[in-house]
Amino acid sequence: MGPTPFTTPSLSRRNLLLGGAGAASALFLSGCIGGSPAPSTETSSAAGDINAPLTLQSDLSDELPKKAMESLVAGYSAHKLTMNTVATEQFRAQLSSYLTSQNPPDVITWLAGSVARDYAAKGLLLDVSDMWTGDGACAKFSPALKALSSGDDGKQIFVPTSYYWWSIFYRKSAFEEWGVKAPTTWDDFMAMNDTLKTKGISPLTCGTGSTAWMASGWFDYLDLRINGAQFHRELLAGKHSFDSAEVRKVMDTYATLIPYFDPKGRSYSWQEAATPLINKKAGMYLIGAFMTSAFPKGDLDDVDFFPVPTIDPSIPSAEEAPTDGYFASAKTKNPAGTKDLLAYLAAPAQQQAYIEGAGSSNLPTSPDVDTTKFSPLVQKGIKLLQDTKEITQFFNRDSSDALQTTADTALTRFLDHPDDVATILKTWQAAAQKIWNS
Amino acid sequence: MAVAPALPRAVDAPAPAPARRRAKHRWVFHAVMGPVAFLWVLPLLFVIVVALRSFDDIATNGLGSLPSSFTLEAFGTAWTGGSIGGALRNSLVVTAATVVLVLFLASLSAFALSRYKIPFGRAILLAMLAGNLLPPQILLIPVSKICEMLGIYDRLFALVAVQVGFGLGFFTFVLYGFMRSLPAEVFEAAKIDGAGELRTYAVMVLPLCRPALAALAALESTWVFNDLLWALTVLRTDTKFPITAALLNLQGGYTTSWNVVAAGSLIAAVPTTIVFFAFQRHFVSGLLVGASK
Repeated sequence: MGPTPFTTPSLSRRNLLLGGAGAASALFLSGCIGGSPAPSTETSSAAGDINAPLTLQSDLSDELPKKAMESLVAGYSAHKLTMNTVATEQFRAQLSSYLTSQNPPDVITWLAGSVARDYAAKGLLLDVSDMWTGDGACAKFSPALKALSSGDDGKQIFVPTSYYWWSIFYRKSAFEEWGVKAPTTWDDFMAMNDTLKTKGISPLTCGTGSTAWMASGWFDYLDLRINGAQFHRELLAGKHSFDSAEVRKVMDTYATLIPYFDPKGRSYSWQEAATPLINKKAGMYLIGAFMTSAFPKGDLDDVDFFPVPTIDPSIPSAEEAPTDGYFASAKTKNPAGTKDLLAYLAAPAQQQAYIEGAGSSNLPTSPDVDTTKFSPLVQKGIKLLQDTKEITQFFNRDSSDALQTTADTALTRFLDHPDDVATILKTWQAAAQKIWNS
Repeated sequence: MAVAPALPRAVDAPAPAPARRRAKHRWVFHAVMGPVAFLWVLPLLFVIVVALRSFDDIATNGLGSLPSSFTLEAFGTAWTGGSIGGALRNSLVVTAATVVLVLFLASLSAFALSRYKIPFGRAILLAMLAGNLLPPQILLIPVSKICEMLGIYDRLFALVAVQVGFGLGFFTFVLYGFMRSLPAEVFEAAKIDGAGELRTYAVMVLPLCRPALAALAALESTWVFNDLLWALTVLRTDTKFPITAALLNLQGGYTTSWNVVAAGSLIAAVPTTIVFFAFQRHFVSGLLVGASK
């Protein structure tokens, strides 16, 4: 797509006006100021320009993470680097237009897994395989992370820099007040739910209102505990049916939890749902470690968690650990500089600086990060993920945003009408099939 | 819409009603409208209260609870951390440039269309009107791609160009109607006195159109200032974002500091409020452009 042929001299005023709307006036105006010519199709794709300035497009718009990113950017001196921060939802919507634009940002923050893989399949992402071998920045990362960062063709297209864990969070002081202990078996867990309920406390808080995806947290975990990680991955990949006996078993267990949910949770967002937990009107919250950002700073020491208890001991343990990081645009003008920046961001010192600065409960992906200074909560999280046999991410990250929508529809309906499970699963499978087929 | 503005018209004063009946009417009016007005202001009050609370208070007691803290911290955070200051400047630049450009271009084209016989004049006018009926959403991708092709993507100029392009049709149409209603005798007089086209436009038409131009300037400045869609379509760099897009950025990926968002919204509302009070008269007359002077 070259620039539109510009035939001003012969263009009569009438034609120009007839041309009508915005396009014509935009053309006209740009003609007036002699706008810089559009960059024609890349002439310097392979070698690139080692001196070209770099752009980092970031969706980390929360206050502290943004500040942490800004200091990382300030500390990078090898190339001229500018960072743009755009709020996640807009970022998500614009991501494909960033990547397909003629002058895309060089490095982009995003999620590992299927989204990155889809863009890689379209040839939009820079191949960073050399960073994963020899003494590359990612060479020492775990094989699980490498598999997660690989495209369908086996090349690495992602640089993971942090991840977090999901668990059931609670307040230590609240558990003491109520005289209960973190359960280790499923039966203990259900018994505790009963105890809390008789005390007039909602055992489980949930925020499935404006953040309907929260309902997938319990679905994922129950599937991991009942059917195992292998089945869960295959289910999300379309190799099993949602309308199957295995999933039905998951839903039956899910149904036994519904009476223990805070009834108001259906209208909360995940963030609002933290409030009952904070003021001790609700007992527990199955959520990712990012929930600590919704807690008042002074109460953070009071937060603890326990993993979702085992249901079937014959199933290997599995936890959800969504991974975040960076990928780079295949169209970058400065591939060498882009990789240099990625290596800088993935280095242990920067990972540590980010995690400390962001005040998040994220875990580093590099084994060389000194974790001794992290909070006890984060240390416990690291141990949880080290000890578990299998790691999955989250429903949408293991499948796709499209499949997540089908899950949101099915699961929110299920929460309202648990008796309709048969029809809900049938509809869910039909909707999912359409997405797998497309 | 097309009553001669130069002719003073007697105001239709309501027939004087008996004093008692009027008093009763007034009482009923206040009894009904008071609660309605309160309902209307309620969301605004809510935002003000949220902006004055601390994050910990909101997290502990919930967004909808009564405040148990008072702090102006959120305003500071929004101003510095959320770079609301820079965004306000961007918005003001874009708004001022758009309003001046669009009114200048629209008045020129309206002048030409209303006073001269232009071939296909009516078709041009209808095309401009029809363009306004298109929902802007379907043009997002073309506009974004065209801006990229022209090399103006991600520049404030692109936003101004797009806003001018989209405003032009509607403003030409309104000004056309207004200029048509100017009495032909004035133009004949100007011609006899030897004024050329440009002089007629600058010295006669523009001053006569002042009420219409003021009303349109007031409307356009609030429209452009409050626009989010086009800003997100043609801009990518966060330092170039206007206030609306910057407000969105205050909303975090994980947590949202509602107090900071509320404070930012209040800061963002200040310029439009000033424009409203300064041009209050013209907002009303904007609805009656041409009906009275």
